[in-house]
Amino acid sequence: MSEEVKSIQRSGTRAPRKPKKSQIPYGIALVIIIILIGVALSYKSGNLAMFWIFGIGFGFVLQKSRFCFTASFRDPWITGSTSITKAVLIAFAITTIGFTAIKYGAFVNGLPIPGMNYVVPISFATVVGGILFGTGMVIAGGCASGTLMRVGEGFMMQMLALVFFIVGSLLGAYHFGFWKINFISNGTKIFLPDYFGWFGAVVIQFLIIGCIYVAADLWQKKKMGA
Amino acid sequence: MLLQICGRKRKWAHNAERIIKMKEYTLDCLGEACPVPLMKTEKKINSIEVGDVLIVQIDHSCAMKNVPEWARTQGYNVEIDEVGDGEWEVVIEKTK
Amino acid sequence: MKKIWEKLEKNQYYATIFKNPFTYVTGAVLLSVLQIALLASSGNPWGVSGPFTNWGAWIFEAFGGSVDKWFYFSSAGAQNTLNGGFLNDTGSIQNAGIIIGALAATLLASQFKLKKIKSVKQVIAAVLGGLLMGYGARLAFGCNIGALFSGIASLSLSGWVFALALLVGAFIGSKLLAKFFM
Repeated sequence: MSEEVKSIQRSGTRAPRKPKKSQIPYGIALVIIIILIGVALSYKSGNLAMFWIFGIGFGFVLQKSRFCFTASFRDPWITGSTSITKAVLIAFAITTIGFTAIKYGAFVNGLPIPGMNYVVPISFATVVGGILFGTGMVIAGGCASGTLMRVGEGFMMQMLALVFFIVGSLLGAYHFGFWKINFISNGTKIFLPDYFGWFGAVVIQFLIIGCIYVAADLWQKKKMGA
Repeated sequence: MLLQICGRKRKWAHNAERIIKMKEYTLDCLGEACPVPLMKTEKKINSIEVGDVLIVQIDHSCAMKNVPEWARTQGYNVEIDEVGDGEWEVVIEKTK
Repeated sequence: MKKIWEKLEKNQYYATIFKNPFTYVTGAVLLSVLQIALLASSGNPWGVSGPFTNWGAWIFEAFGGSVDKWFYFSSAGAQNTLNGGFLNDTGSIQNAGIIIGALAATLLASQFKLKKIKSVKQVIAAVLGGLLMGYGARLAFGCNIGALFSGIASLSLSGWVFALALLVGAFIGSKLLAKFFM
């Protein structure tokens, strides 16, 4: 990206290039620290070290791809762009395949199905929670993963958002009893394979993803002309 | 031979004329949260004329991706310059 | 010494892996691979907002409060996690990893900059947005990662319902953003 031919004519006033001191040595130092922390954690428990490395991996990929779920839901409304929306849908599709493979494999061998802790009752609380979260993430400039990523990038606004995310979580936990009694316990868990069979569930999920993908494509063409 | 020289001179004069007429605007979006740089850029581009150049100063990693992407879908010429650690200038030429 | 870094920055491999951003689709693929690997190795998918509640509880307890009578923390698992503390909570360690991983990515690309808060508007936006996200995530059993990403990947209809609600929320948020926070 350094010595390209600049095709756009500009006046002489380019921003003064600040004397650049490369940050790479700091990055390398941090990588060494990350490895040391991983090793230290593994003495406590291999599990902890594993989650540490997964976190590092998620953080690295999120930052490098500027992946933001907030943008996937917000940009269609603000600019009409759905490029991140489509990327999120691709992520849904790939993970569906992987997750289902793992779950079906366990099921077929008579083992308990792993990863069911996000199959949760659908109730009024789900809807309210989603609306609150959706509003909050757009205002705060980042979702849960986005906030953590931006804390690492040095955004003080997201550091503040994180503090209040924690406060809000505690408040939510405090009221959780109320929501559980009045709404959540009246809700139903709907695990698609229970209703449509494993194959049917995957087909339906891909149909939904496909339809939304096409709709997103058309939306962008309509709103942005491209 | 004479015609060749005359032809080249005219092209040079034509370019010079374009540079003199074209205006350059700077939009300071340093410290803005997502998606404010993009929203401000959209507004500003609508107010300038074809041929003008808008330089958007940003320090948000999302914006150095979504602003050029938006500008390209609109058909403008875009260039991104990294001017410092974590600071970029997105140069947009309003071509139509 | 400085010349080594300058030379490195011109290397094409450095540029592709560390300097230039990945495309959104590349990110989607890599995140999916990590998600699937996490489910396979730990038995649970990725989640981000759950640990925040623990962090809140620990801070609250540090100030003399107690969450032991709260319904939310009444299960044996929740009590165990609370008693174990930050360094024993895999979710907390993972979240810390996300922050450090993003920091490492930024430093290795030589793109780190501390961005200070610019205005009162940003303070209000961060406070309000954070509160709404925290509260909403508890009601939905998760955030954009747990309830949405992991929920949908787990073939749970709750994920799609949450997604629809997020879309509505994002619409409301966009209107508020344009009106009050620009």
